[in-house]
Amino acid sequence: MLQSIFYGLTIGGILYITSIGLSLTFGAMRIVNFAHGMVYSVGAYGLYYLSHSLGLPFLVAALGSLLLAIPLSYVIERLVIRRLYGQSIDYAIVATYAVLLIGVDAIKWIFGPNPLPISDPVGISLNLGFLEMPVYRLIIIGLSFLIFVGLSIFFKKTIVGKIVVAGLQDREAVRSLGINIDRYFAIVFVLGSALAALGGVLYAPLSTVQPYMGFQVLVLTFAVVIVGGMGNFRGTAIAAFSLGLIIALTGRIWGPAAEAMVFVVMAVVLIIRPIEV
Amino acid sequence: MLLSVENLDVHYGSAQVLHNVSLHLNPGELVCIVGRNGAGKTTLLKTIGGFHAPSRGKVSFKGQDILGLPPEKVALKGLKYVFQDKRVFGELSVRDNMELAAFPTKEPLSEAVAKLVAIHPKMEKLLGSKAKGLSGGERQILLIGRALVGAPELLLIDEPTEGLAAIIIGQIVQILLSVKSKLSMIVVEQNLSTVARLADRIYIMKEGAIHREITDPEIIRQPSLYENDL
Amino acid sequence: MLKRIEQSPPLTLLVVAAAFFVYGYSTSLFKITDFIIFTIFVLGFDMAYGQMGKLSFGHMLYYGAGSYGAGLCAIHVYPDPFLAILAGMIFGAALGLILGPVLVKLKGAAFALSNLAFNQLGYFLVLVPFAPVTGGEDGISLSFNSYGFIDFSDFNFRFYFYLACLLGVVFLYQRFTRAPYGIFLRATKENEIRVRFLGYNTQVFKVVTFVISTTLSGLAGALNALNLQFTNTSLIDPTRSVEVIFAALMGGAGNVLGAVMGGMAFMTIRQYLADYLVRWEMFLGIALLFIAFKLRKGLYGVLAKG
Repeated sequence: MLQSIFYGLTIGGILYITSIGLSLTFGAMRIVNFAHGMVYSVGAYGLYYLSHSLGLPFLVAALGSLLLAIPLSYVIERLVIRRLYGQSIDYAIVATYAVLLIGVDAIKWIFGPNPLPISDPVGISLNLGFLEMPVYRLIIIGLSFLIFVGLSIFFKKTIVGKIVVAGLQDREAVRSLGINIDRYFAIVFVLGSALAALGGVLYAPLSTVQPYMGFQVLVLTFAVVIVGGMGNFRGTAIAAFSLGLIIALTGRIWGPAAEAMVFVVMAVVLIIRPIEV
Repeated sequence: MLLSVENLDVHYGSAQVLHNVSLHLNPGELVCIVGRNGAGKTTLLKTIGGFHAPSRGKVSFKGQDILGLPPEKVALKGLKYVFQDKRVFGELSVRDNMELAAFPTKEPLSEAVAKLVAIHPKMEKLLGSKAKGLSGGERQILLIGRALVGAPELLLIDEPTEGLAAIIIGQIVQILLSVKSKLSMIVVEQNLSTVARLADRIYIMKEGAIHREITDPEIIRQPSLYENDL
Repeated sequence: MLKRIEQSPPLTLLVVAAAFFVYGYSTSLFKITDFIIFTIFVLGFDMAYGQMGKLSFGHMLYYGAGSYGAGLCAIHVYPDPFLAILAGMIFGAALGLILGPVLVKLKGAAFALSNLAFNQLGYFLVLVPFAPVTGGEDGISLSFNSYGFIDFSDFNFRFYFYLACLLGVVFLYQRFTRAPYGIFLRATKENEIRVRFLGYNTQVFKVVTFVISTTLSGLAGALNALNLQFTNTSLIDPTRSVEVIFAALMGGAGNVLGAVMGGMAFMTIRQYLADYLVRWEMFLGIALLFIAFKLRKGLYGVLAKG
């Protein structure tokens, strides 16, 4: 039981890190960004390439792969997202899904369709007798808490954070003060994408990397965003960890149903509290 | 002339909401725009502020054509639009609201806050509280305070007294009159007794067009002389 | 010219029938049968998207329900092909009736993603818990009774029968959209609150439309099960939902000819170009981007104007 809770927190941590960007674009720009899943895969494959193909140390490879996500997400924002602003949400769904498809295929082209393994970079476990805790998973949980605290400070204390908070509530009013809100949303978009790439980096050693991993995580992160509320930072965190625990605990009872439970929760939430996009 | 609007047509989809609207504003003037709901007052202000693109017409501010500029650029030129419905940033504190206003104008926060406190000293105590906790009147004052940051020359204020109690309306009127020496204003206002106290000049709008202009101070002070024109 | 055809129901039927005849006899009836099935699916999807303005990202669920409905009926009830088709439609309709009342209240992204979530759930149910019945990933193979020339293992018969089904669907689609019902539906899409103020129950309209959409999708799925003589999880795979979206958008949403053109164009690309297009998903992605930015009215929009 404790073991499942521990694993659930790990999954929750990764879901949280991956979901932030999606929640922000959803809340700020009213755009459903399927391309988010692609950046996640790019993080994981970047890690694979830099650490396994080039043989760089894990930390360097992880950092390198985050740096890769930044220009990529900037290009996506410029060429696709920005042109969809204020338009029918259907086209946003279609266009960003198209970006995801292109990304998935590019990955298959470069790395082939088969799953590739990445080994646990720490490889040590803390054994407490009743509970075995791989250090790598502890790091993930710690990192997700650090990011939560860091983002809370960012949105409370920095001017960029405050502009985004204000813009989430009332975009036009921010503009009326003389602030080019799109620029700040773009910064946040890139930040959120880099975090998605970090999610991919962190998840890769727990499983394998495979071309459709972005699609799979996307549906889960959507569930997080819908359960937690769009553009709601604290809600996103609570939803991510709750769903992580649901996945782990369901998995303990009946393995195959683990992820299906998430959709049940998401459907229930949507029915109780429909979103207006 | 500080602002001149010529032959403005605005459409929403296929429906035309402004018809050939022309108006002007001299430096130091406070002009009120009155009219019923749906007369096009807000659309007119938003178009001047850069939030809507007109299908025809010209808007110049300080002799410069500002049509087509995005609203943030218009604001930085010294023409600020103050939204109706008391739209403050509720999740931020009053001080943060002022900081956001000060940030693009590069005015120090302390100066910006001083401007707010100057128009309403009670704000000093509320600086740390979240803006969503303010009363309607306080919100409106915060909006005006935010707009005063930088060195604006023209404020477009949309329905500042809507939904406020008479005593609060009196405060708002006092504030507007007190800043009048420093800048010009166009105020959209439904309440004609307020208009009578504020306006140097009045435009009456009806069905998307300027219906009448009133310049005579004697008439302005007596709403009964023009209330039937609305 | 397209508009004139679209405005006359008999002419539309004639043109659609002629198009599939010419295409079928100049290539292969066997292949074009697939095209017909897919076009029925596009019409079903378009009932929700084109007529009601609701983009579903999980329509494979209803298609898959039709396939499994037909398959399970043939195995567990009686291997009559018509009974199987009816069962597929009933499965599609039942899902629409159960999920519709909740789903149609949602808009935009919520509608799209809820359908996707239910599609994921359906895929999972078929894959794991119901695997003893559905055969899991491997699926089940099917055989059906034949009566004289009514023989679903003969592709000539299938071609004609499926074409008749498509023409029936086209006929009904046009009847629906032309009836006052269709006009209400489009008015609801434009401004739901106003229609509600007029005293109409928009919820009922929307649920009915959604059920028509899922029933037609179920029909397409059932026809496909008869065509393939098997069902497996690829017929309910949520990642394939994008195919029908792509076809509907490419053809032009909201009218029969657009859906038919979209269905034919998509299948043509997949049948004949996919061999040369090594990077199929990349092609699909680039084409979708092009549609989303430059071809919003679809082929129908371009051709009807020119």
